[in-house]
Amino acid sequence: MIWLLLFLILLITVETALVTSLPALLRNFRYQSMCLALLTLLAAYRETSPELYVIAGLLFSLKVLLIPHLFNLLIKRINSNNHLGLFLNAQFSLLFVVALAMISWYLASLVIAPPAYLEQLTLSAACFVVLTGIFLMASRIKALAQVIGLLLAENGIFLAATIIPGGMPFFVEIALFFDVLVSVMILGLFIYRINAIFTHIDVSKLSGLRG
Amino acid sequence: MIKRLGIINAAAHFMAWLAALYFFAAVGAGNLKLSLGSIFYADALSALLVFTTATVTFAAALFSVSFITTDFSLGKITAKKALYYYLLFNLFAAAMFLVPLINNLGFLWMAIELTTLVSSFLVGFYNTRHSVEAAWKYLIICSVGITLALFGAILFTFALATATGIKSLNWTDLLATAKALDPAIVKVAFIFILVGYGTKAGLAPMHTWLPDAHSQAVSPVSAMLSGVLLKSSLYAILRYGIIVNRCCGGNYYGNFMLLFGLLSLAVTCFFIITQKDLKRLLAYHSVEHIGIIAFGVGLNSPLALFGALFHIFNHAVTKSLMFFGAGRVSQAYGSHDLEKLSGIIKTLPFTGLAMLLGAFALVGLPPFSIFTSEIIIVIAAFQSGNFIAAGLFLLLMAVISGAAIYHFAKILFGQPIEPLAAKKEPIENVLTYLFLIIFILGLGLFVPTLLRQSLDAAVNILRGF
Repeated sequence: MIWLLLFLILLITVETALVTSLPALLRNFRYQSMCLALLTLLAAYRETSPELYVIAGLLFSLKVLLIPHLFNLLIKRINSNNHLGLFLNAQFSLLFVVALAMISWYLASLVIAPPAYLEQLTLSAACFVVLTGIFLMASRIKALAQVIGLLLAENGIFLAATIIPGGMPFFVEIALFFDVLVSVMILGLFIYRINAIFTHIDVSKLSGLRG
Repeated sequence: MIKRLGIINAAAHFMAWLAALYFFAAVGAGNLKLSLGSIFYADALSALLVFTTATVTFAAALFSVSFITTDFSLGKITAKKALYYYLLFNLFAAAMFLVPLINNLGFLWMAIELTTLVSSFLVGFYNTRHSVEAAWKYLIICSVGITLALFGAILFTFALATATGIKSLNWTDLLATAKALDPAIVKVAFIFILVGYGTKAGLAPMHTWLPDAHSQAVSPVSAMLSGVLLKSSLYAILRYGIIVNRCCGGNYYGNFMLLFGLLSLAVTCFFIITQKDLKRLLAYHSVEHIGIIAFGVGLNSPLALFGALFHIFNHAVTKSLMFFGAGRVSQAYGSHDLEKLSGIIKTLPFTGLAMLLGAFALVGLPPFSIFTSEIIIVIAAFQSGNFIAAGLFLLLMAVISGAAIYHFAKILFGQPIEPLAAKKEPIENVLTYLFLIIFILGLGLFVPTLLRQSLDAAVNILRGF
């Protein structure tokens, strides 16, 4: 079951490099968060840890329900068209993402020795998700896509935290959720401001400051 | 009303500065290690950061009094916005005071993230096209950086959990068990930490947000960004570095710092020569000085570390003075474009004089304090036998200093392009400049015992004793 969820996360992450519309990217983020919440739920069940149940619940309510909902509101509010705007087309993006997967695998193999295959795979998947998120931020033109890329990268961090025996200290994790929520809201606010001042949210056209 | 608010704010920050001075004397010179619960921890290194933060924040609060009043009377901001400024100013200061006092690396991460989130509003404060663009880039680039840093923090926790079974994110726990940690994990984790926090510390090539944010922020805040924000992110790297040094030995961490330090110097070299904007010029100077500090830390000998830590404070006060001057100049001239500025000494005699002193200090001429810390780092570099690195360092510094002096000479002297009547300096500004000049000049002439003892204590902490 864990292997299946990890596989799904990998598949969804690869697909994010191929999608070209904003709602599809948001949907991918939602599915990925869903898998992550399930993974945490499984760990909670296995370790019978009430703390992990709380975290799974938070993951679900924040990253599957609340944040995508806020994004949908924002998309409606700013009346932008749904194209992501690709600096790099889907095929090249796919090649890039495959290269990132190899780098992640290499890094994970440096950190974790062979007998622990599950941890090794989890860590390389986590690293892959983080790097792909950042790659999306750099290669997509719409400001909203950059925020979703950041959120994808943060999912990778939460995935990485699952390899720590017993998980991260509880209060740190709760505070992290709060932090994610606040930073998403602030980024959303700035997207709103950019839209009001520039009448678009193309970051490729934000080039007034040079040198 | 706005002026009175500013004076109250400055008075409160003066109290905070006195408290920080006491804290610095007690914890720093007394070489205490305090902890409160498992979340807070303070030692001589924290005390240095707290004192630097307090000094720059007090100066910025004092300078804000006339700056914000002038912005208000020029119609650039409304009364409500001025209130909003002071609210954000204090939130930002509070977040930066929090950073050096935290033990838990997860919460440390959050405090640093908090400084980004709050200060992004101060960068985008004027709500113009340029400032919103700068704020956006600042938020996005620093968020990416900080995400990588969190990944690194998780790897450190993983290393601790697998080596000892302790589930903790506390720096003190990591340090106590550093020798037991798996060096392979620590090495990979540190790369994430260095790139992550290095982005926010302004190390090249991750510095691209910095000139935009520094040039668009409200001028007193530019000083805080350059003087303290960069250092508090560097502080996080230093904390991790202590663990890496103890765990991996050799100079794994030091070599990275040397590399990034020299790279920062090399990159700024080009941008300073071709610079067209006063505040961006100062911003690139910050990249340079962060590079110098990183270089000193990278050498990793007691002398070099002393120089690097001393430089943290010296750069903070000198750069604050320059940003205040630049703020005053851009208010008077209505621009911070280098082409449009000239004859500052004639139109703003006191600010011009302060900037002239500041410019000499900034490029590292004696008898100012930056000269002292830089010469210490150079001596340490030659002593440790890194002749090539030391030679490169000197060469790049010489080019940067020459270019900076050229730019400053052009704007300070000569005739103003449009004749402006010489302006009288508000008393708050005079006090701010004098407060900073005491440090810039005073510490260049002699280093008080209190400061030397606390720097020595902090050096010992950096070396893992």
